[in-house]
Amino acid sequence: MNEVFASPFFGITLSILAFEIGIWVEKKTKLAIANPLLIAVVLCIAVLELFHIPLASFDAGGSVISVFLGPATAVLALSIYTQLSRLKKYFLPVLAGTVVGSLVSVGSAYLLSKWFGLDRVLTDSLLVKSVSTPFALAISPNIGGIPAVTVAAVVLTGILGAVWAPAMLKLFRVRDPVVAGVAIGTSSHAVGTSKAITLGEVEGAMSGIALAMAGLITVLISLFLPHPGQ
Amino acid sequence: MLQIGLVFGVCLLGQIVSVLLPVPIPGSVISMVLLFLLLFFKAVHVDRIRQKADFLLKNMAFFFVPAGVGIISQFREIREHLLALLGVVILTTFFTFGATALTVRGVMKLQELGRSRKRKPRTVA
Repeated sequence: MNEVFASPFFGITLSILAFEIGIWVEKKTKLAIANPLLIAVVLCIAVLELFHIPLASFDAGGSVISVFLGPATAVLALSIYTQLSRLKKYFLPVLAGTVVGSLVSVGSAYLLSKWFGLDRVLTDSLLVKSVSTPFALAISPNIGGIPAVTVAAVVLTGILGAVWAPAMLKLFRVRDPVVAGVAIGTSSHAVGTSKAITLGEVEGAMSGIALAMAGLITVLISLFLPHPGQ
Repeated sequence: MLQIGLVFGVCLLGQIVSVLLPVPIPGSVISMVLLFLLLFFKAVHVDRIRQKADFLLKNMAFFFVPAGVGIISQFREIREHLLALLGVVILTTFFTFGATALTVRGVMKLQELGRSRKRKPRTVA
């Protein structure tokens, strides 16, 4: 049986099935918490735990799916290109928003970690949690973080952002699609962007720009943070 | 097929540039910039990649499923501090979202104000 689970088709089929169930539940319940990505992740983990299937077996197929993350991010260029006139008009607000957002993200992560009594290493691991994984993984070890904890925090942030985005848009009374996209992309990187795309093309394009800019700005911010061990 | 080849080719190029750059910028972000430049300078027409781009964008959330499942491999390291970690993640996401939204909206209003002031004819005596 183990050979079956180790085949790439297992991870791929399980992911697709779980995601389809997620879409179905979202349609039926219309609840924000019924996010297809969240449901799919929970279902897949449940199946792996229940049948004692090692993560490595799932990843034989999972890594095939993950390959598409790069191209999916790259083709955001198309949305950005079609929204070029809007971007030109609102470049200043978008830049200001991503700079302030990134500073608040790093600053609040630092203060809240202290407040929750986390030690130095865990705090350092959480500082860059709002940018997408490749950015975060490049920065985190330099500022004394543990990569595994950073990845966990980044993924949790992304899923939370995707699930919570509609509620936060309502709470902050955001109706402008530019404001919505930039806020989603800055606070919850590419995973949030995948949700922004479903809200509309402007939201998706702005979220894509914001995730790239927030990532670059956070790299700049990290240069001013202490680099232990160097 | 040529469409998907073009997108993957740009991604490969982005990866190469990412490795060569001294600053940590992910290959996917560089690919995004490269593809944007190709579209901007009309080296590639939008219609040539529209179909595949739509497929990728529409299914973006799905492509994150394995990354999300991978969190169980980090579970041992975060288990002890799970509640505190979740607290930090939830609150920082909230603050970041709010700060970004308010800043974008605020600067937009300032911009509008500046524009409308410029438009007004000056009635200088």
